[in-house]
Amino acid sequence: MSIWNYVVTAHKPTNVTHSCVGNFTGPQELNLIIAKCTRIEIHLLTPQGLQPMLDVPIYGRIATLELFRPHGETQDLLFIATERYKFCVLQWDVEAGEVVTRAMGDVSDRIGRPTDNGQIGIIDPDCRLIGLHLYDGLFKVIPFDNKGQLKEAFNIRLEELQVLDIKFLYGCPKPTIVVLYKDNKEARHIKTYEVALKDKDFVEGPWYQNNLDNGADLLIPVPPPLCGVLIIGEETIVYCSATAFKAIPIRPSITRAYGRVDADGSRYLLGDHSGLLHLLVITHEKEKVTGLKIELLGETSIASTISYLDNAFVYIGSSYGDSQLIKLNLQPDAKGSYVEVLERYVNLGPIVDFCVVDLERQGQGQVVTCSGAYKDGSLRIVRNGIGINEQASVELQGIKGMWSLRSATDDPYDTFLVVSFISETRILAMNLEDELEETEIEGFCSQVQTLFCHDAVYNQLVQVTSNSVRLVSSTSRELRNEWLAPAGFSVNVATANATQVLLATGGGHLVYLEIGDGVLTEIKHAQLEYDISCLDINPIGDNPNHSHLAAVGMWTDISVRIFSLPDLNLVTKEHLGGEIIPRSVLLCSFEGVSYLLCALGDGHLLNFVLNMNTGGLTDRKKVSLGTQPITLRTFSSKNATHVFAASDRPTVIYSSNKKLLYSNVNLKEVSHMCPFNSAAFPDSLAIAKEGELTIGTIDDIQKLHIRSIPLGEHARRICHQEQTRTFAICSLKYNQSSTDDSVAHHVRLLDDQTFEFVSTYALDQYEYGCSILSCSFSDDSNVYYCVGTAYVMPEENEPTKGRILVFIVEDGKLQLIAEKETKGAVYSLNAFNGKLLAAINQKIQLYKWMLRDDGSRELQSECGHHGHILALYVQTRGDFIVVGDLMKSISLLIYKHEEGAIEERARDYNANWTSAVEILDDDIYLGAENNYNLFTVRKNSEGATDEERSRLEVSGEYHLGEFVNRFRHGSLVMRLPDSDVGQIPTIIFGTVNGVIGVIASLPHDQYLFLEKLQTNLRRVIKGVGGLSHEQWRSFYNEKKTVDAKNFLDGDLIESFLDLSRARMDEIAKAMAVPVEELMKRVEELTRLH
Amino acid sequence: MEGPTTLPFDYDNQNSMVATAGAGGGGASNFLANLPSRGLFSSTVLSSNPGGMRVYICDHETSPPEDQLIKTNQTNILIRSLMLKKQKGDSSSKDGKVIAGKESSRKRAAEKALDGRGKRASTSTETVSRQDGSKPHLGGAQKDLQNLTVERLRALLREKGLSLRGRKASIWHCEQHDELIARLRAATE
Repeated sequence: MSIWNYVVTAHKPTNVTHSCVGNFTGPQELNLIIAKCTRIEIHLLTPQGLQPMLDVPIYGRIATLELFRPHGETQDLLFIATERYKFCVLQWDVEAGEVVTRAMGDVSDRIGRPTDNGQIGIIDPDCRLIGLHLYDGLFKVIPFDNKGQLKEAFNIRLEELQVLDIKFLYGCPKPTIVVLYKDNKEARHIKTYEVALKDKDFVEGPWYQNNLDNGADLLIPVPPPLCGVLIIGEETIVYCSATAFKAIPIRPSITRAYGRVDADGSRYLLGDHSGLLHLLVITHEKEKVTGLKIELLGETSIASTISYLDNAFVYIGSSYGDSQLIKLNLQPDAKGSYVEVLERYVNLGPIVDFCVVDLERQGQGQVVTCSGAYKDGSLRIVRNGIGINEQASVELQGIKGMWSLRSATDDPYDTFLVVSFISETRILAMNLEDELEETEIEGFCSQVQTLFCHDAVYNQLVQVTSNSVRLVSSTSRELRNEWLAPAGFSVNVATANATQVLLATGGGHLVYLEIGDGVLTEIKHAQLEYDISCLDINPIGDNPNHSHLAAVGMWTDISVRIFSLPDLNLVTKEHLGGEIIPRSVLLCSFEGVSYLLCALGDGHLLNFVLNMNTGGLTDRKKVSLGTQPITLRTFSSKNATHVFAASDRPTVIYSSNKKLLYSNVNLKEVSHMCPFNSAAFPDSLAIAKEGELTIGTIDDIQKLHIRSIPLGEHARRICHQEQTRTFAICSLKYNQSSTDDSVAHHVRLLDDQTFEFVSTYALDQYEYGCSILSCSFSDDSNVYYCVGTAYVMPEENEPTKGRILVFIVEDGKLQLIAEKETKGAVYSLNAFNGKLLAAINQKIQLYKWMLRDDGSRELQSECGHHGHILALYVQTRGDFIVVGDLMKSISLLIYKHEEGAIEERARDYNANWTSAVEILDDDIYLGAENNYNLFTVRKNSEGATDEERSRLEVSGEYHLGEFVNRFRHGSLVMRLPDSDVGQIPTIIFGTVNGVIGVIASLPHDQYLFLEKLQTNLRRVIKGVGGLSHEQWRSFYNEKKTVDAKNFLDGDLIESFLDLSRARMDEIAKAMAVPVEELMKRVEELTRLH
Repeated sequence: MEGPTTLPFDYDNQNSMVATAGAGGGGASNFLANLPSRGLFSSTVLSSNPGGMRVYICDHETSPPEDQLIKTNQTNILIRSLMLKKQKGDSSSKDGKVIAGKESSRKRAAEKALDGRGKRASTSTETVSRQDGSKPHLGGAQKDLQNLTVERLRALLREKGLSLRGRKASIWHCEQHDELIARLRAATE
């Protein structure tokens, strides 16, 4: 790999941190706005449910998100503040359909200690000011003028240093905040302040309340007419206002999120740390609060945000599990729950660990992550490509074609499946028992191969064979009309839709027929100069039954032509070039754009944008899908049309953002496919594979496919063992009984196909599994799982005791073979020269695998290396050891065989708190640190002095904006040998927000080219809210901020493909590169993930 | 003395928290009625996947209007506050003093919180000075009430024929103070 790296997101963040509901995209439109750390999603609430609208990238980590409406506005504005002290106010421009920046600014202060409890950003309910608490002891005010414009911000000294929460009170003549804080005796109090805007100071507020619940952590301001504030503690909930004070005890719980149900604030939803959802009711009479009531509703994912939508529907955003759309039912279900989960939105975060495996042995990597936390912990299998869920299959050899037919024109479901063989045609149909059985359509000719079948108008069916076209009634199943091929000619290829038939016979004859009620009329005949290889008249215009264009692929001159119908005039002729004939053409339309797809005999696919009026073909693109001839078919799934390309590497072609995307289907060779939407198997596909006919449904059409294995416990480490086909995980399970909360730790063995627990080893009390490794030792042919643990005692700051456990898998069971006590936590284990290298607290320790006299084995300490704060992450390559330290960045050690010693060779003297390390190549090491940055360091072997050689020089720096927990070498995509990207080495990373990303090392010339492209893109693609891309990607920690170097933002570069053509041209011109060339190079990069 | 505030639990409600939902539609059912609805999510069949999400590409100018690029006033808080006072003009010297008094009162109020059971005499004078200090900012009946002593408040209560309940307590025990004010305010409204 190299120091020139390209960072791109394969799976976007899914951790939902904030959500709010308001009229953002229009005065009459109600929106749900969701923040997923560095992106916001805008949804529209409709009578049919949540309709996704926009996914907006933000150049910052979102710290606060609020909707508000200044006086005189008809729609809400969105306030966003980022963790790097930028804020912006966004407005939706209804006419342009754009997000407009109303205001933005930098709210950082040169001095000030960043708050420990996170940033607070709040807006006065009467829109007089925005309040920010970013630094201890300071409250920043951004006042509004009476026109809703923001004025210069100023700071006010806030006496309380340990602030837990601040909210604005409703219904106050002057803007009033209520502050929940902790004094230095850990007692919690609230206090109110009025903000005197003119004097730029606080005035003591109307009331305060001392000595609250010791777990009080959250304030909920209550709107008029009640006003006041709710203080949510761990054991009590208190309502407090100038005139009233009510409290109720609750079952001990930590409330993580709340959502207001009623506009008058009389009901709230509270979500706690164990995922229980409660309803808090403020009872009141004549606008006076008379009491509080709390009711358990049921269980959801552990909520980080709750938004009441409408009509008893609630959005639960989660950081630890899948986010959910739930409904609150008036009556409880059998389990006593009022909560009905209607939809789950996948969240991979936090990805604590993952491994890259090739379970199906197809040469394509899959990522298995340890995702989620607490009760929502799970394993997620993430792979590129679309899965088919097989529902039925029959053995059938030699299928030459398949079509589904309906028994009546207006029947929503397909009844018949016509399967064609070389010398016969069989018809399958669903019987009453929902089984597929052979049937007959009397009017069809079943002794010959069928070339094409289709439903036709007037309850008719069309069958094309080599010598005739037969029109058959779908009700009586009898032949109604027949068109016979002229004597001496046989039909070679044919296509049809509900009202038209187009066929080609030998000698380049093209015949066009129209279908009437019981009649087939030959309308037009044309003689072409060469034979015809493929045809299509799929209707994509306004009329779903009739096409006014026909696509024809030709032998000999290797061209594809567009003819007009019904007169068969040549409209467009496009030479394909090369010597490979087109084998399948298809007219199709995605997201309102019409395309002509043309598949060649060698597995390549050409696509053109088709102008429906002129028949013109533009924007030619070529991709390689496989090596065998491809047949194209459309199908629909979830109300969208897609194309299935059957070949040796079956692919689904779909469109997103008006861009064609190709996704592998996880099947081996497929010869034919047709949609088969029967009542028993709705939305299914019939797939002809080698010797087999399968009926199955297709997964959601998306690039990455994710399968969830809920564990009900929190998996922290994972490792795969190829030889035993198992996974081993270290996990912890929280047992929340009524009496006490205990945690149990396990090492579990899972089957790598079924993902079921097959064996479990219980760790001791307080013993955490910290690392896991599958390895073998020199002089021993067995493969072992090694597990490193730590005894985390409540009274100790750092563990002083741990174990290394060596297991072997026998008969699907974990057998403990050896154990070795250590003097600290075993943070990392690596296989190293046939030995075991462990990182134990501040030490690196090497163990030999020794045979004892009695034939048993044991780990024996060989040598070690001191001098780290905590050696958390270790990677090895040959004799080199790269250590990621808690505070001291990366150091490079070397193992000296002769001396049997480990010595330090070089180190990075920066104080980076590393969160993951990986070795890119012999000299370059990659690290991630806790301020969300990536960096690379390089060994300086050519240094003139020892001092120079002992330094790892920083060669790359980049702000990723994500907390990386793990790097692994590998790739999510199949590496096709003929593509350039197949040669680019990649690393995959997983983050707390559920991002799976790819770091690709580029050759220097490509890096320079893309760097230039990135610079040009920055001028065209602007940061939403006026946030700067350059600043966002600059390396940033408490000590320094420096421009990103030797890393490129692949997300920005790949968004080039989403630009309008005019913008693309603009950039191509600035780059002095043809736009097609630019597109090709960027498209190639998208195939890295 | 201040002492730990005991929270007056509303014990009537204590049972409802253990509401093991289930028993035949009781419990939460009463409170889940009449959830707000504006006619959204009303269709009986909710579409599970109504179209995809468009990734927003922002290729228009996103800089804010010129006067809406917000910066923080960099003047030191103390200096700013002194300048503001100076601008107020006429009673500047007095106000300056007031600020000092206020600052010290705040500081000492904080100290007091740390000390817990601080010296009573000093604290009671503290409050007075604090209230004096905040006087220039206050206005309206509500604020005036804040500034009155307990004796004065009681006198007012008596005039209005309201209860004078509440032990004779140190004034800085604000809760009681507030109680009296609240009662007065309720009566005047």
